Amino acid sequence: MKSLKASTVTMKTIIYIVCILLSLLSIFPFWVMIMNATRSTYQIQQSSVALLPGKNLLSNWRILTGKSFNPWVGFFNSMIISIGTTICAVYFSSLTAYALVAYTWRLRSAFFSFIMAVLMIPAQVSGIGFYQFMYRIGWTNSLMPLILPSIAAPAMVFFMRQYLMASLSLDIVASARIDGSGEFRTFNQIVLPIMKPAMATQAIFTFVGSWNNLFIPLILLTRQEKYTMPIMVSLLRGDIYKTEYGSVYLGLTLTVLPLFVIYFILSKYIIAGVALGALKE
Amino acid sequence: MKRTMRTVLCMLLVASIAVSLFAAGKAEEAKATRKVINLWSFTDEVPKMIEKFKALNPDFDYEVRSTIIATTDGAYQPALDQALAGGGDNAPDIYCAEAAFVLKYTQGDAAHFAAPYKSLGINVDAKLKEADIAPYTVDIGTNSSGDLVGLGYQATGGAFIYRRSIAKDVWGNDDPAFVTSKVGPGWDRFFAAAEELARKGYAIASGDGDIWHAVEGSSPQGWIVNDKLFIDKTREDFLDMSKMMLEKGYTNDTQDWTDAWFADMKDAGVKKAFGFFGPAWLINYVMAGNSGGDRPGEGTYGDWAVCEPPVGFFWGGTWVIANDKSPVKDAIGKIIEWITLDSSNTGLQYYWANGTLDGPGGTKDTVASGTVMQKSDGTLPFLGGQNMFDVFVPAGAFATGKNKTQYDETINIYWRDQVRNYSNGLKTKAQAIADFKRQVADNLALDI
Amino acid sequence: MYRVHSYRQVVVDPSSNREGGVSMARRGVSYAKWGYIFSIPFVVTFLIFSLYPTLYTVVIGFTDLRGLGKTAFKFLSDPFENYKLILANATFKKSLANTAIIWIMNFIPQITLALLLTAWFTTRRFHVKAQGAFKVLIYMPNIITAATIAILFNSLFGYPKGPINDLLIRLGIIEGPRHFHLQKWTAKGVVAFIQFWMWYGNSMIVLIAGVLGIDVTLFEAAEIDGANAPQIFFRITLPRLKTIVLYVLITSMIGGLQMFDIPRLYLLGGPDNATLTSSVFIYNQAFSGSYLYNRASAASMIVFMIIVVLSVALFFIMRDQDEVKLRKERRALKRRGGRV
Repeated sequence: MKSLKASTVTMKTIIYIVCILLSLLSIFPFWVMIMNATRSTYQIQQSSVALLPGKNLLSNWRILTGKSFNPWVGFFNSMIISIGTTICAVYFSSLTAYALVAYTWRLRSAFFSFIMAVLMIPAQVSGIGFYQFMYRIGWTNSLMPLILPSIAAPAMVFFMRQYLMASLSLDIVASARIDGSGEFRTFNQIVLPIMKPAMATQAIFTFVGSWNNLFIPLILLTRQEKYTMPIMVSLLRGDIYKTEYGSVYLGLTLTVLPLFVIYFILSKYIIAGVALGALKE
Repeated sequence: MKRTMRTVLCMLLVASIAVSLFAAGKAEEAKATRKVINLWSFTDEVPKMIEKFKALNPDFDYEVRSTIIATTDGAYQPALDQALAGGGDNAPDIYCAEAAFVLKYTQGDAAHFAAPYKSLGINVDAKLKEADIAPYTVDIGTNSSGDLVGLGYQATGGAFIYRRSIAKDVWGNDDPAFVTSKVGPGWDRFFAAAEELARKGYAIASGDGDIWHAVEGSSPQGWIVNDKLFIDKTREDFLDMSKMMLEKGYTNDTQDWTDAWFADMKDAGVKKAFGFFGPAWLINYVMAGNSGGDRPGEGTYGDWAVCEPPVGFFWGGTWVIANDKSPVKDAIGKIIEWITLDSSNTGLQYYWANGTLDGPGGTKDTVASGTVMQKSDGTLPFLGGQNMFDVFVPAGAFATGKNKTQYDETINIYWRDQVRNYSNGLKTKAQAIADFKRQVADNLALDI
Repeated sequence: MYRVHSYRQVVVDPSSNREGGVSMARRGVSYAKWGYIFSIPFVVTFLIFSLYPTLYTVVIGFTDLRGLGKTAFKFLSDPFENYKLILANATFKKSLANTAIIWIMNFIPQITLALLLTAWFTTRRFHVKAQGAFKVLIYMPNIITAATIAILFNSLFGYPKGPINDLLIRLGIIEGPRHFHLQKWTAKGVVAFIQFWMWYGNSMIVLIAGVLGIDVTLFEAAEIDGANAPQIFFRITLPRLKTIVLYVLITSMIGGLQMFDIPRLYLLGGPDNATLTSSVFIYNQAFSGSYLYNRASAASMIVFMIIVVLSVALFFIMRDQDEVKLRKERRALKRRGGRV
């Protein structure tokens, strides 16, 4: 008994040390980024890593807002796009996944294979064609082409399907039918609440991905009042003659801040979460 | 089953109708005369200039819509290209191109979008002479039919920017004319000076990148000759130059635009660096901020001077181009003339050169018009009171644009990568050149 | 009336959550059409926004479209010319090799560490406090932009002055600064490390979730029998985690083959193409000066085929377990008949 306890104690010490080290490793780049947001460009160019804050937060902020564009507008646009994308993706993926799990229909397995195939198409393949298409139909400078395509999110459908297969009991659906509920109502009122943990986890992934997305918005949104936050940050970095690194880091920090908020709100689902699969890069 | 199929087909039909309506609607938008000018740029320099133009010309009642997309991550060009190709109301009327890719828009694949300046109502030949524009910027901006389609407002002819105190320590003389004769003309004299500096423990330059811009800019021929990749002898010699400088300790082995390179501007490197190669913007926009101070006596501020480089070159610059299909050519003609060819005291170039665009005390810069430079004051405390225009005006004459191609940006990345491998002893010269050719062939589909 | 029948049928096998159970048809009304109806938004959106671009790319792979702003293209006389060129392209082959190497360098530590952390956090005996906080912090790297981190690491390894160089010199580990950006395997290692750092928390969360789905009584029984922690992990947890580990494998592989942001932004695919991955290669074909859209498309298609082949292989390994269980259940069902 004694040796068991001793070995447990050593194990626990090891575990704590490793976990603390890993947590520090995870926070380190965020910390550097926030610290750099308070230093001046000159200080950053002398040494890119600092563990203590500087005094240039206000001047960096002034440069950021003085660059003839408005961070508030960027924030607002990014919010609309990300929230819209997340809602569309989560809702319609759950709907499609439900279709794959709760009903038997002839094309079902073919459809699922089709979704998996779409999943494997590299992003570059559709990227070029997509924005050329948008230009051809003149759908630029609108937030719609950035939101609507997320209705078809194959990765999420895959994920929701796995989750439903493991956690949805069809008795519930059947008894709802007996009680006279229509199919659509059953989905909205009974199935969706069951999927909350899955939806929360996927919502974080989607929100983060959409918020950080730079390339397609950059190409499609050319009017200043439509810019998103990542676009504004990239503008700061563009001027190679006089890149204001301090403001860039401040912009990056501001861009990440809302993500932290959403993340911490939804993080209890991550801790308890019942994820059975997610696409990564 | 049948009913479902019908429902599905109905929805598909509805969807496709919706999309086509959308497209039609967009196309029908205001074809009437518009009072809007679409400006595309990658920095906020030109938009700010136009604000000044409107302030000077209160009856210029066009609305200017600026689209600014930075060149980082290579995002500016694809967006600009799509906007030009797409046409319509959102297409740019005026667009800017940087030296790294300007050839594509004046002579290369996108040149057919550009409008000849003379079609904008500008008397090109007379104005060029009157303003005494540096020839290299005219060369770059002339298309294959001989028409001028773009001009830069800056002059980015390069000079050698050196440390006065180090010159005094090694030769006892920091006068620009003297140093000019020490470091040039020609690379042989330059490396002889490097040897003298090395003996006293100084590096003549920060890294091989500094030398490269001068080498690249002064080579007789560019990367493409007769539609094939061509490695000019002067550029090929750079391989050995880089290796030699590393072995003899003439540089601190830095790479431009990295922390260590900036550190050399304030003596924080391994050895003190004697000088940098660059145009006026390097002084004002890069070195001044990195000199460790903002008035003479602090850091290296005030300890610099400029002299003629061993070979003439130019580096960077922004060209302004007009869209051939623009419906507001008269208006943009006025703007472009004011920016690039107006050599009066109310022309943009005068303000730009003297740093008075936003009121007094702004950053000075060298401009394309020699006329303006003659009557402008380029004295800088950063240069110990030297008038930088004295050196930069003749420097502009040496620069040539005839050795540039539209692929330069990419080819230079590959070339510098291979040079670094060779000079650090990781490859033989033959291997480096072979790998370079391989990369160009594989990625750019050019004949080698 | 028919509703009563269907209710009874469903109750027969309560564990009918899987595909096998659902395939029992409900007599009378067919709800199958709802499957189609609910899938319509996905299909329509895909057709409008993804199908055209994808088809466009596929078609372009067979043409001579290159250069800027051109829309007219001709089909090549030898339709597979672009494909042959790409397959013979030495840089392309190198990029595939790089992608595979970097992915392996990233994935093996990732899955090992994730499994280790999973074991630690789910072994009840250890009672690791502040588990929640650790999990949240370890997952955080997943939300940072790839661009930010790539640039940060680029300046971390700066030469001759950079934080890592300064630190190593001060600690006396090396005498003079090292040119990290010039060393191929260091560059590969850094890219692999960044990928690892961004995703190991994600894998850990997924695996923990999988463990939480294992019946607790199994663990309790094993502990009563005197099994120690490693035994429990290797004999009970791991076998049941196999499906999930394979899921992590597939998603990581699909993502890994499309690795783009980090390799491109860290060193632009250098030094000397050491970190050039297939996606960066495709991007370079399309955007680095010659606008070789046709070849970029052909290369994309080739990478797509590779992904499909590998995924099918992995799915095949995975499907076996499910199918076997499924068949067993179906047989058990038939034996029990359709009674309550």
